[in-house]
Amino acid sequence: MPRSPGAEGAPPRIPRRTALLGGAGALGAAALLPGCTASGPRAAPALPEAAATGTTADGGVLRMARPPASQAETLDPASSLSAYEYLGALYSRLVRMDAEGHTAPDLATEWESDDAGLVWTFRLRDGVRFHDGRRFTSADAAYTLRRIVDPDLASPQGTVLGPLIDPSRVHTPEPGVLVVELTTPNFEFPALLTNYNCYVVPDGDGNTIGSTGIGTGPFRLDSFSPGGRGRIVAYDDHWEGPPALDAIEMFSMTDIQARTNALLAGQVDLISQTNLDFATARVVEASDRATIARSVNAQWYVLPMLTTAEPFTDVRVRRAMKLAYDPRHVIDVALQGTGVPGNDNPVPPGTPYWTDYAVERDPDRARALLAEAGHEGLSVELYTSGYDPVFTPMALAYRDSVAEAGIDITVRNTSADSYYTQIWMQKPLMSTYWYTGRPADQLLNQVFRSGSSYNETAWANDAFDGLLDAARATADEDRRRTLYQDAQRMVVDEGGAMTPMFADRLVGISRDVLNYHESGFEFDYLNIGLRP
Amino acid sequence: MLLYISRRLLSAVVTVLLASVIVFAAVQLLPGDVATQVLGQDATPDAVAALREQMGLNRPAVLRFVDWITGAVRGDFGVSLVSGEPVAPTLWLHLRNTMLIAVATIAVAVTSSIVLGVVAGLYRDRWPDTVISTLTLVGMSVPEFVVATLLVLALSITVPVLPAVVLDEASAPVVDLLPAVVLPTIALSVVMTAYIVRMTRTSVIDVMASEFVTTARLKGLGTGRVVVRHALPSALLPTLNVIAMNVAWLVGGVAVVENVFNYPGVGRMLLEAVHNRDLPVLQAIAVVSAAVYVLCNLAADLGAMALNPRLRTGERSAR
Repeated sequence: MPRSPGAEGAPPRIPRRTALLGGAGALGAAALLPGCTASGPRAAPALPEAAATGTTADGGVLRMARPPASQAETLDPASSLSAYEYLGALYSRLVRMDAEGHTAPDLATEWESDDAGLVWTFRLRDGVRFHDGRRFTSADAAYTLRRIVDPDLASPQGTVLGPLIDPSRVHTPEPGVLVVELTTPNFEFPALLTNYNCYVVPDGDGNTIGSTGIGTGPFRLDSFSPGGRGRIVAYDDHWEGPPALDAIEMFSMTDIQARTNALLAGQVDLISQTNLDFATARVVEASDRATIARSVNAQWYVLPMLTTAEPFTDVRVRRAMKLAYDPRHVIDVALQGTGVPGNDNPVPPGTPYWTDYAVERDPDRARALLAEAGHEGLSVELYTSGYDPVFTPMALAYRDSVAEAGIDITVRNTSADSYYTQIWMQKPLMSTYWYTGRPADQLLNQVFRSGSSYNETAWANDAFDGLLDAARATADEDRRRTLYQDAQRMVVDEGGAMTPMFADRLVGISRDVLNYHESGFEFDYLNIGLRP
Repeated sequence: MLLYISRRLLSAVVTVLLASVIVFAAVQLLPGDVATQVLGQDATPDAVAALREQMGLNRPAVLRFVDWITGAVRGDFGVSLVSGEPVAPTLWLHLRNTMLIAVATIAVAVTSSIVLGVVAGLYRDRWPDTVISTLTLVGMSVPEFVVATLLVLALSITVPVLPAVVLDEASAPVVDLLPAVVLPTIALSVVMTAYIVRMTRTSVIDVMASEFVTTARLKGLGTGRVVVRHALPSALLPTLNVIAMNVAWLVGGVAVVENVFNYPGVGRMLLEAVHNRDLPVLQAIAVVSAAVYVLCNLAADLGAMALNPRLRTGERSAR
């Protein structure tokens, strides 16, 4: 499952070598606007906290610049190449995630399981129609689920739901009721359906959905060309009521500087899936036309240690690497102070099941642990790239921070272009990030469970896996929370991932945009609009 | 003459062939292959393996190359590994768009740089020369993307008269693309002009010091007539090659500038193909670029022949 939904997460989508040029261009622009960045009350790092809200104009067209997935991108939500920006606008899921990270009704109004957590019954919303007029029923929901777990489709979410769902045990007793008999008990099952690969498509439309985009979402498709431009228009019969906008126009731009220039020149109103670097963010904020909105805690930054590679096979070395650095220092350098410490726990602060468990920095203890493991004066390489503007500063800050414990880090910068195919999950120590917005259960199972395809530290721990299994099979929510928190403590104490921080994504938007809201994989297409 | 031309044509074909071999080899050396690049990290290992099989990536590189080159000779550049669309129509579309910029740039750059070069040469070491030479040095030293960024800042953001990026796709009508051609043209002209100005200046200085110009002056001809009728044709001879090289450079894809302006030309197509390891597209662009390059040089040489009677008299004296 994608570290991120589309482009910024999946390497094929942006030739990020050009990010370097983007930075240079932004600096050039910054140099020409000397008075703007440091003008009195707007001095650094005063970037706005949130987007403007208010009553929007009636209708209007929003223009969005997006990094294309590739020339092979598709509107099929279950695909690994789905054109992310279109999904939430065109489709709906059974269950969505609210701003606090809890599951909330979407096409399913309520759901319950039997006492064992094996048989789940979803009651579906009545009177919902697809864009082509067909009525939404449980047949569509069942078809969608069976399709996601079909191995031939190779959906990223298929590896998560596949072990749980047997296609022959998905039942539709009534048009308004869906029953799923799981293969193993799971009280977190609805949360797994909030994933963006789980958007509901019409029964039998699998072969055409990639180009038709027929869903039940607030917009319907007007035009779409893979890797190119597209247009979606308001679907007036949407069950939540029509969206504020008349239409959204999507423009594909692979180059980050081109996207920024388009915003500054007023050719687009929003840059999607782009975490602007601080220099560019200040240039954007200084402009009369554009500003910065934040997607809070949207980026989860990680320094994964491959637990199958020397010297990180030794848990004492992993602990030493964590004890040695000061997350505050990393945040100050890499995020200019605009983030929250991760405490090496991948679950974002403030979300359900999160624990505040943290181990204090202790360079002396780190030194002692290394000596004990026979790695005194440890010297290792830390790989980074220009893929994300934060990677390299994060790596450098980490290097400086651990020097006190006698750890010698050499930072190696590599091509952003092939970073996720050649470096990620291959080098023993590197920098990476994920989008937040996954339920804790999916996060822990997908990235930390033994053998999972996204287990980037190759960590394998039976006790940890056992905790996750027990949590899934536990009906009592408090007890379940305790188990998930125990699992997080194990990640902190023994796992291979260092999580220095969670950062806000700096999103470039026009000053005309109102009610922009995005958290995790949820983008509010219904309320976003333009200033009257 | 005919022998000369046919020999040049033969060497052109060999050059194009060599270029495609080298590009093919270089792409093999790029880390990562098209299956992993296309599917991204969202993909499962099984999906990657299946796609590799489906794309025929497991076959030996030599076989794949032979297949490709036999198709290319027939004008069939195969299908893109990424989009599954035939390469040729897309390539022609992007080539058309790049030609828009190229033609505009050549018109602007060649005209202005010859005028500037002649002025600089005639006013050698006086203030017009100093001003022109200094500006061309600056033009040569600043990378295109910096020029491009400054132009966007000035003419799209501060005074919004021209688009900063192209929102249209490659298939857009030429008329729609025209406003978007202006800034790339200026950016490229700045860089291109610099080289031609310096070449023209040097050659004007040389010619003006030569004996036939002195003779013409001694015959009592006015400066204007001496320059236009006698000096200029000779002065332009060495400049032609520089212009040809620049034209080839333009058509071969001004990748950086096209990327900055999101311009749907060959340069951006090339960047995306490299990024996706889309071999058929990459090969097609490389071969077409090589062909354009070779043709431009050929045209420059033939143009030089037309301008210089001595080159026309026979193979021996031409060499």
